[in-house]
Amino acid sequence: MMDLTQKQWVGHVIFHPFEGFEDLRWKKGGTLKYTAVILIALFFALIAYDRWCGFQFRPLPDALFSVTPYLMKSLVYFGTWCVGNWAVCTLLDGEGTLRNITIYSSYALIPYILSTFVNVVLSHILIQEEAVFFHLVYYLGLLWSTLLLFQAIKAVHQYSFPKTLAAIALTLAAMLIILFLAVLFLSLFQKVYVFFYSLYTEILYRIRT
Amino acid sequence: MKRPVRALRLAVCGLTALLLWTRMPFSVSADEPYDVYHYNDLGEAIPSQAGYLAETSVSGTDLGISAFSEPSDLFKDIDDCFYIADSGNHRIVKINPDFTEVLAVYDSFRLPDGTKTTLNHPKGIYVSPDTGLLYIADSDNARALIAEPDGTVRQVIQKPSSPVYDQQLTFLPQKILCDNAGNVYIILGNTTKGAAMFDRDGSFLGYYGANSVKRTPAVIANYFWNRISSEESRKYRVRNTPTAFDNFDIDREKGFIFTSTSSGNSNTDIVKKVNPEGHNLFSHLSGFVWGDEFSTWYGGTAYQTKIIDIDIGDDRSINCLDTTTGRVFQYDEEANLLFILGTIGDQVGGFTQGGVAAVETKGENCEQIYVLDSLKGTVTRFSQTAFGAIVHNAASLYQQGKYEEALEPWLEVLKYDGNYRRAYIGISSAYYNMGRYQESMEYAKKADSSSRYNRAFSKYRAQFLKAHMTEILGAAAGLWAAAFAMRRIIRKRKAGQPAQSDTQGGGLS
Repeated sequence: MMDLTQKQWVGHVIFHPFEGFEDLRWKKGGTLKYTAVILIALFFALIAYDRWCGFQFRPLPDALFSVTPYLMKSLVYFGTWCVGNWAVCTLLDGEGTLRNITIYSSYALIPYILSTFVNVVLSHILIQEEAVFFHLVYYLGLLWSTLLLFQAIKAVHQYSFPKTLAAIALTLAAMLIILFLAVLFLSLFQKVYVFFYSLYTEILYRIRT
Repeated sequence: MKRPVRALRLAVCGLTALLLWTRMPFSVSADEPYDVYHYNDLGEAIPSQAGYLAETSVSGTDLGISAFSEPSDLFKDIDDCFYIADSGNHRIVKINPDFTEVLAVYDSFRLPDGTKTTLNHPKGIYVSPDTGLLYIADSDNARALIAEPDGTVRQVIQKPSSPVYDQQLTFLPQKILCDNAGNVYIILGNTTKGAAMFDRDGSFLGYYGANSVKRTPAVIANYFWNRISSEESRKYRVRNTPTAFDNFDIDREKGFIFTSTSSGNSNTDIVKKVNPEGHNLFSHLSGFVWGDEFSTWYGGTAYQTKIIDIDIGDDRSINCLDTTTGRVFQYDEEANLLFILGTIGDQVGGFTQGGVAAVETKGENCEQIYVLDSLKGTVTRFSQTAFGAIVHNAASLYQQGKYEEALEPWLEVLKYDGNYRRAYIGISSAYYNMGRYQESMEYAKKADSSSRYNRAFSKYRAQFLKAHMTEILGAAAGLWAAAFAMRRIIRKRKAGQPAQSDTQGGGLS
């Protein structure tokens, strides 16, 4: 039973929010290749939402576009989520490996990505007065993905319902700490770099004169 | 070896000559002593074309009288004659429309009882368009005079004895004007309650159009503590009072009074449009920045827009004079920025820091702008450029709702300045009214106006659906039929090969 190809596993997981990830775990399905594809799709979905929507729904002026926030929103946040969750749940007797956390979490993002692309198409057909359909699709995708993400964490670590809630809350806290430390290190290393660079120029001047 | 060198020398000579030839006429003629700029919809300053150029600067001696001393007000009457409240010389000077000769100098007036009286630092002047009477804020005499053009005083307004007027306050008239009903409004230098309002007989009616205090959390908290603290401790607490407006102008046709506030520490009520009931019709513009969008810091001082005078042009444009930067900010009647002109400097078109005192406009379409510099004692005339004239024409047609007629001028505006956002809006509106929705969408996009795009798009979509209904329905029916047929075929195939589908569907273990 349940001898699905990797492609079929994706569909199974998405359309069986309550059993899908348990099955996936039981059968050791899921591959990092799809994770990569999903993350790239997420990156382009976020860009498409801001750049390719019909003009009546476009929230961002062209002049303010920059690619960095999209990299941040797709790759960095996802990476921190996986690492943070792994770090927290290893301490909380979770059974998930970093690889599995990454795969399961990425599969859970698919409804959100799809809803974003559907919205990009819809936004060329709808007018602002009909924005309710636009928002409906958006929130549907978001809720579905949230539900899947919850189930993914629950399944990968074999947690109970309340423990999953606690783990997710702790994961969010861990993400904040990781990002804070990252920013701190970045600015610190910048200062160190500037220090050594000025030292270097100073020495250079001394040598020359 | 020699040849190329000579050729090079020739080329350099030719290039220099060409450069001189092309540069000369530009540098001699119309160059204003400042960079002309405009604000885009993101609030960034962007280079733009000049709508006005400084033409001449006229002082008192140029007009054949003694130099102006601290002139504090400039007014243009209905016959386009100018009046200057020459405060330091205690006189009112009337000047002809071309600003070339003095028509009259008022330094003394005859009171109704026959005695002579002189002015003492008059700071404000207004001339009624209906009666031709002069309204003078005779500041240091603590009175306002209403006089005939021949110098006979009709009426004297002095400190009111009404209990509404705080009797501890002196009467310090700064600016004055009168409305269609003959009511007189006087801005006093020492109250924040608004302009004192007098009826045509000179009796005090109350205050008019005071500024409001912006309700920030700090202000609300302060109000709360003031309410619950005792009488004694309240004396030592801070009270939030609004800043007083210090200049105004009246739109006689519609009866609105526009006030301007120069106080640097408030950012609300900088410019108000007050209706006869005293309500501010610009209150919806609460986040709007009048003047420069950003204040700059230089040498420890914040240079922030301080609007010292306001003038409503004959085309209802709102002209605000900023004393910090010496700039005039011209808006149309809905507060869309039209032009920015003037600077701090010594050239014609430049003013002294903190010296500008008054602005007036002349002409049906604001062809000329006059700025009074009280430290220099001069009046500078700015004249509209061809670009300025087109923009004014387009903007006034647009304001009147004649969008289609405004199309040509707006297109012309874009030839001068492709960054002029209002032109894109105007063109989009024009095409929308003409039913050319696709073009309207295109220009709305360029104007970055999603609401206008949406409006045009909804019409375009309706048009498209109406025109292509048969195709769309046909395509939908075709798709449906194809899907139905596909399903039948797949089912048939599955039914034909039961063994294969079994192994694929569920390999029961």
